[in-house]
Amino acid sequence: MNRSWVTKLIVLAIASVLVLSACSSGGNKPGSGSNSGSSQNATNVNGNNSGDSGQSGNAGNAGNTGGQPSGAADSSDPFGGWVEGLPKIEAPEGFDWKQFEGVTLNVITENTPPSSGLAANIEVFEQATGIKVNIEQVNLDIVVEKAGLDFNARNSNYQIIYADPYQILSKQAKHFVDLNTLNNDPTLPSIPGGLEDFIQSQLLVGGYMGDKEHLYALPYDNPTMVLAYRKDVFEKYKDLFMQEKGYDWTPGPDMTWDQYYEVALWINEKAKAGVISEVKYGTGHQAKQHDSLMNDFSNVLAAYGGDYFEAENLGDIGTENPGKSLLTSPEAIEAAEFYNELLKIAAPGSTTWDWNGLAEAFAAGEIAMIPEWHEFAGMFENPELSKVAGKVGWTILPKGPKGRGNMYGGTSIGINKYASDKEIKAAWLFLIWATAPQTQYMILDAGFTPTRYSVYQLPYIQKAMNDPESQEAKEWPLASSLIAAQEAWKEGNVYMRPKIPMWPQIDTIIYTELSKMLAGRQSPADTMKEIAKQSDRLTGN
Amino acid sequence: MQQAASRPLMRKPKRNRTEFWMLLPSIVVLAAISIFPFFFMVYASFMDYSLDMDRPRFAGFGNWADTLTDTAFWQSWGRTLVYAGGGLLAQLVLGCAIALLLYHIPRFRNLFSTLFMLPLFVAPIVTGLLWRFLLDPTYGLYHWVLNTFGLDIQVLGDPSYAMFAVIMMDVWEWTPLITIIVLAGLQTVPEEPLEAADVDGANSWQKIRYILLPMVRRMIVVALLVRSMDILRYVDTIVITTEGGPADATKTIGYYLMQVAFRFQDIGGAASVGLTMLLASILMGRFFIKVLRSEEA
Repeated sequence: MNRSWVTKLIVLAIASVLVLSACSSGGNKPGSGSNSGSSQNATNVNGNNSGDSGQSGNAGNAGNTGGQPSGAADSSDPFGGWVEGLPKIEAPEGFDWKQFEGVTLNVITENTPPSSGLAANIEVFEQATGIKVNIEQVNLDIVVEKAGLDFNARNSNYQIIYADPYQILSKQAKHFVDLNTLNNDPTLPSIPGGLEDFIQSQLLVGGYMGDKEHLYALPYDNPTMVLAYRKDVFEKYKDLFMQEKGYDWTPGPDMTWDQYYEVALWINEKAKAGVISEVKYGTGHQAKQHDSLMNDFSNVLAAYGGDYFEAENLGDIGTENPGKSLLTSPEAIEAAEFYNELLKIAAPGSTTWDWNGLAEAFAAGEIAMIPEWHEFAGMFENPELSKVAGKVGWTILPKGPKGRGNMYGGTSIGINKYASDKEIKAAWLFLIWATAPQTQYMILDAGFTPTRYSVYQLPYIQKAMNDPESQEAKEWPLASSLIAAQEAWKEGNVYMRPKIPMWPQIDTIIYTELSKMLAGRQSPADTMKEIAKQSDRLTGN
Repeated sequence: MQQAASRPLMRKPKRNRTEFWMLLPSIVVLAAISIFPFFFMVYASFMDYSLDMDRPRFAGFGNWADTLTDTAFWQSWGRTLVYAGGGLLAQLVLGCAIALLLYHIPRFRNLFSTLFMLPLFVAPIVTGLLWRFLLDPTYGLYHWVLNTFGLDIQVLGDPSYAMFAVIMMDVWEWTPLITIIVLAGLQTVPEEPLEAADVDGANSWQKIRYILLPMVRRMIVVALLVRSMDILRYVDTIVITTEGGPADATKTIGYYLMQVAFRFQDIGGAASVGLTMLLASILMGRFFIKVLRSEEA
């Protein structure tokens, strides 16, 4: 009898433990993610990347970027690390950097080089301010989900949020603090170097929504699609190509998409014939049924003079109603036809690759040219991750009949307005530090590209960017891609996708229908018409 | 002794009531985490409810109309039937075959059973990553093997093969479950009918067909019941490998639901989709239970 009671008690205890553990494992606690990371090995989490706005891949191990930092923190440089030539982080006289000591801030961000770099150096901020910071690095769709839940519940589980312009800012801007109020507050530090020190096109798309009255976030990262190519292949077979085709095939700003196609086809043929052994395919693309396909196609669409919608300011400030779809225009259909033909001669794995898969194939030495996010330069130049280190050249994407498009994929960080007043001000200090020129300079090792003009003016950075053979360039692998990225950011070269509240649905429609086109299920013209029809139905136009 | 002989044989109900009260807290919690979400889902399906809204608005049958008139919804269900049907059939055949194999090797049975069960212990996300790597066009082992035989197929990039691939991933991971259940049933089969069959001159196949399989039929139905509940909503490997592509070839209803709920943040629409999945699960469960009851009869 006693044994029977004991057995029943044990069963009840086990059942209770199981039920309680099921209840307690229901949600993530803020800050339960890693708040430390290695700036030497900043990597993206592969896998559930559906919905990414276009993020970088693996960053290489850049080593010491040099520079002349000011050394330890002092009253004139509370965080230390200030470099001559950069705007300083300054505060009003008598400002106590430790007045928010004890406050805990939770940051939710995509797993990107800057977030890894900040996480690896967070003690700099924590020591200077006494504010505890938990940085949770997850896939973008998780950021979107958690931010949405926080806003919907009017919670502030996360005080600082990675404000993706297309999936978060475009429809949830009203839940962010207007940073102008903090920047103009005489009792608080203001943005070092001012708003004008941010690359303006990136500030426009990442900081505002619908108008320029309210500033919701500050630019944080800026991956951009440019052209990566195998310098060694193009140098070695230059004369052979010239003999057969009559022009210099080296990728550069004057290259057209038609020439790109011709070059890629020629490489395919020569590789198949055994003439070229260094690569197997002329071109590769991130054409998986994924946001990456929309990004890749958009470069061609823009080059052919096409666009997604008719409304003004779609790609920068954004708008609620994008107007009618423009994808039934002759330019858009022509772009789709060209893209369809281009993918027929691309590396066959293109339809299985997102940007990570494409980067891995290029780093494995399979492909001669790829349109890719420039932040992959770190990975390509890392001998531990790449077989093509030292062989990669960068330039802007080819031009088309009507122009050029280099897809921009940058994001900003903002403050949750449902946080307490004290948390908001503490979060402002974090934003000041995280986007400061000296911090961006500090985390260059993490494979990060600065969003501040002043950082690019530093002699070290200029030397690294302009002299590929210099020690500075070797220490900072991303430098080789930055010249192309800077060229890509210029007006007329950069392409910004529509910043509208229903963009996730539109994006899904675009890449799903494009995937059907590439699988031969429908013609390019029918694809554009189908996307336009579904888009107009969704937007009510 | 007379007192002992007159002691009543039946226990009073009081002991059962004690057990009930002791289990009640667990039952209440379980009910709260399963019944409340159900009612919330029904409520949400009639509301215009998105995460970027200030508050949900009553939408009547709007979500249901949108869902039931969406071609993509029905196409996803069609693919789910292919995925579930193909997966269950393959798992049934393979699971039974492996169980019979293990049954006939009493020596080292435990060792081989453990080895066959290994895929079951792998997390679904890891399974997806593993298969993605194996089929990768750049460095995948299986892709290399296919190329060696002259087959330049982009398995995960070709709509003709992608569904087959995700079915195979499911088969690889979940066949051991069928195997465990069927093997457990086989081990309860008495020896006498088999000995009698030997005496009558029955061969191995006849013994399997006329004795073993009929005797474990109920276990097979239970295995299919368990697996069918799961396969309807299983999306882990699809999320990791094909993300519903290429050309929506692997977008099952579970993936469709995930897209509506988490990418579009349309909670109302997702609730209506989810309720159709619940209905399908209930119907499938009732079917198998009916089969089980007919077995008992």
